[in-house]
Amino acid sequence: MIEFQHVYKSFKDKHVLEDISLTINDGEFICIIGPSGCGKTTALKMINRLIKPTSGKIIVNGQDISLENEIELRRNIGYVIQQTGLFPHMTVRENIELIPKLKNKKDKHLLQKVKDVMNMVGLDVDEFLDKYPIQMSGGQQQRVGVARAFASEPDIILMDEPFSALDPITRNQLQDELLSLQNNIQKTIVFVTHDMAEAIKLSDCICIMNDGKIQQFDTPEQILKNPANDFVLNFVGKKRIWDSPELIKAKDIMIDEPIVCPYSLKCIKALNIMFNYRVDSLMVVDKKHTFMGIIDAAQAANDANKGKRVDEVMKTNCITVQPDDSIVDVLNIARENDKYTIPVVDDQKLVGLITKSTLVTTLSKKYDESEGE
Amino acid sequence: MSEFIDYFIQNFSIILGLFVEHVQLTIMAILISIVIGVPLGILITYFKPSKKPVMAIANLIQAIPSMALLGFMIPLLGIGTKPAIVMVILYSLLPIIKNTVAGLDSINQETLEAAKGIGLTRLQVLYKVQIPLAAPVIMAGVRISAVSSVGLMTLAAFIGAGGLGYLVYAGIRTTNTDQILAGAIPACILALLIDYIFSILERLVTPKSFQLTKPRSQFKNIMDKVIIILTCVGLAGSFVYTNMGNKTGTKKIKIGSMDFSEQETLNYMLKYLIEGNSDIEVEQALSLGSSSIVLDAIRGGDIDMYIDYTGTIYGSILGLEPNSDVDEVYRTVKKEFKSQYQLTVLDSLGFNNTYTLAMDKNTAKKYNIETISDLCKVSQQLNFSPTLTFMERKDCWLGLQKAYPIQFNKIVPIDGSPRYTALDSHECDVIDAYSTDGLLKKFDLKVLKDDQSFFLPYHAIPVTNERIQDEYPEIIPIINQLQNYLNEEVMVELNYKVDELKMKSMDVAKDFLIENNLIQQ
Repeated sequence: MIEFQHVYKSFKDKHVLEDISLTINDGEFICIIGPSGCGKTTALKMINRLIKPTSGKIIVNGQDISLENEIELRRNIGYVIQQTGLFPHMTVRENIELIPKLKNKKDKHLLQKVKDVMNMVGLDVDEFLDKYPIQMSGGQQQRVGVARAFASEPDIILMDEPFSALDPITRNQLQDELLSLQNNIQKTIVFVTHDMAEAIKLSDCICIMNDGKIQQFDTPEQILKNPANDFVLNFVGKKRIWDSPELIKAKDIMIDEPIVCPYSLKCIKALNIMFNYRVDSLMVVDKKHTFMGIIDAAQAANDANKGKRVDEVMKTNCITVQPDDSIVDVLNIARENDKYTIPVVDDQKLVGLITKSTLVTTLSKKYDESEGE
Repeated sequence: MSEFIDYFIQNFSIILGLFVEHVQLTIMAILISIVIGVPLGILITYFKPSKKPVMAIANLIQAIPSMALLGFMIPLLGIGTKPAIVMVILYSLLPIIKNTVAGLDSINQETLEAAKGIGLTRLQVLYKVQIPLAAPVIMAGVRISAVSSVGLMTLAAFIGAGGLGYLVYAGIRTTNTDQILAGAIPACILALLIDYIFSILERLVTPKSFQLTKPRSQFKNIMDKVIIILTCVGLAGSFVYTNMGNKTGTKKIKIGSMDFSEQETLNYMLKYLIEGNSDIEVEQALSLGSSSIVLDAIRGGDIDMYIDYTGTIYGSILGLEPNSDVDEVYRTVKKEFKSQYQLTVLDSLGFNNTYTLAMDKNTAKKYNIETISDLCKVSQQLNFSPTLTFMERKDCWLGLQKAYPIQFNKIVPIDGSPRYTALDSHECDVIDAYSTDGLLKKFDLKVLKDDQSFFLPYHAIPVTNERIQDEYPEIIPIINQLQNYLNEEVMVELNYKVDELKMKSMDVAKDFLIENNLIQQ
């Protein structure tokens, strides 16, 4: 666990960090993001004491790091920066084994360890073990950087914009690999980036900073949906959520209180309700609000049905979605079944309704707001 | 050219000895300047405020003329190898410090931060990252220093440290072109050789990853290492050999000499005479420079004996007014040296090497000049090319003007033997000369008589320190034999053999002693 407790930092008269308090749990992947000069890198470098706080404390695994030996501390924290962080005069092997060797000179399994971390980051051992960084592509160099950080088996890994110099394709590839790596090994990773898409993609929690202060520290979903202030809203971008539409859930777009009718109602009365609320169908529920079926105007208005109870004529084999299904899922279901009135059901209870018009309204926002920007 | 080759072959062992000496001095200076310069360069990158003053001092030293720097060294370090090496070190520091700083500054800051961030200590960052990455640039600075050190080290000869410069300056002094070349050509070759060796070193310290674009064959890489190892073994061997030579012989004295042929011949004469008539070994410190430098050397204990001239001591060292009374000058010198410097002046060697004026025989005949007084009558039509020293001394030109009504058309001071050449080509008409100068015979010059007895007597006198008096008094009678055989004419003859006939002063000295049965063959 990493804890920032009221951390301040000033260089001369300039405040770089102001009252940073932050808790990062074990195994979490945290992105720190913000415009240049917001203090994100400063905050990161405080964790391995490359920069010391002016006041406040940083606690790592229950220990105040200012009381620890800084060399020990750093050797137990992985550190990845852009590819310039590799030592150009050392081979891949020498780069990776540098710190493990300093920690334990007589480690007989060192070479195996080097090979293991190389495999882990997808580097061909035979091809690259004795290559120099200059002989490798940017993406390969960055893999070496990650491998080096993992080689000393740290619990915490700090990454300072590690992928920012890479081309988009390589960057994506490395992000994917980092994600799957993290799923397997569950390190605590603190990742500084200025790329919101990267932060949303990678992290469990995002810490948005500006002017040395934390603006919002929350899950990507919350940040996208409920920006804490205008800065976050603008920084994230109003249409940003469309970069990750899977974050838009059924519960976010559904009509919360669809017009319902009890199953025992007569069809004629149901028709009357439809007329009053100007809808063409009703959700049929019981007293406990359990979803039972849908009755539409055509069925209710049928002369043969007029005197019958709603539950005798309603459709029961309806397509439903869960509140946490994303808009992508909803659209897929709607398209596959050619149905655009979809009840949202949670534990058999009716919680909302998605109709053609809610979908159109939601989707149209993507374009409205982008024009506004 | 063939003359040069002959000279080279005849003197090969001497040239080789000086070459080795030159290599040793240069390498010693380079090694020490690396040991000082590189850490200093590293330190000033760590303590930024010290960068400016250190660089300013290094630049300043570079701006001091090398002869002047050498001059400053003598009072502090005496004569011989020490001041020469220190001078070369001081000159070598600037490129080494500069390149060390440049090399360290050129390293990417992020690389250094990464090194720190992954947990390297300051020292580990330095030797695992900074030094390997800066090494090629540092080595380039060392290479520049090393090559210029070879040239600078030729100055070492001025203060008796030996090396190839000895041949160059001895050659200039005696207008012996072959000798100059015998010093200059090996020095050039040495400079090229050192440049080559350091280019290999530069390549060896350059990280492999920086050389990927110009791959070299395995064979060449191995050859590089072989050459460096052979060079190191050779150097180590030469140092061991030189030091072994120094340790043999327990009874040993060291005799110094000034930087002209007569002094060198006399030095050899003393060496052979003493070694041939006693069990004492004589070490030589030839060509130390002017009288005052040699005096510094004997007072500092670098040498035990040298030969000076009464007039020089009387006039320029004791600073007394000119006096032409031979006995009084000798007595004063002996007394003052004893009381002021605890040095003992032995009996005169039997000749007077005084100042005199000389001119072309034809010119002398034309104006009918025999004496200096004769010269005064026509001197206004003549040009005078004395040495700088002659111009400045009150027992020379300053006094001469008072003793004689002498005035020249033009005075162009020229140092050393080139003034003889100037006289020979009629660029000047009168020069100052020493009465025993072999060049007088070479150029067949008219020596003018000092009819007013203005010039001081310059009797050659051996000067010894207390060590000779206490430990080796037996050599004094041995030396005293010489006065029976030496006089001005003999000395001119001996000097002529060295300066004009290009005979080696050691051979001239030895032959003279054998002819006179002073030593066995």
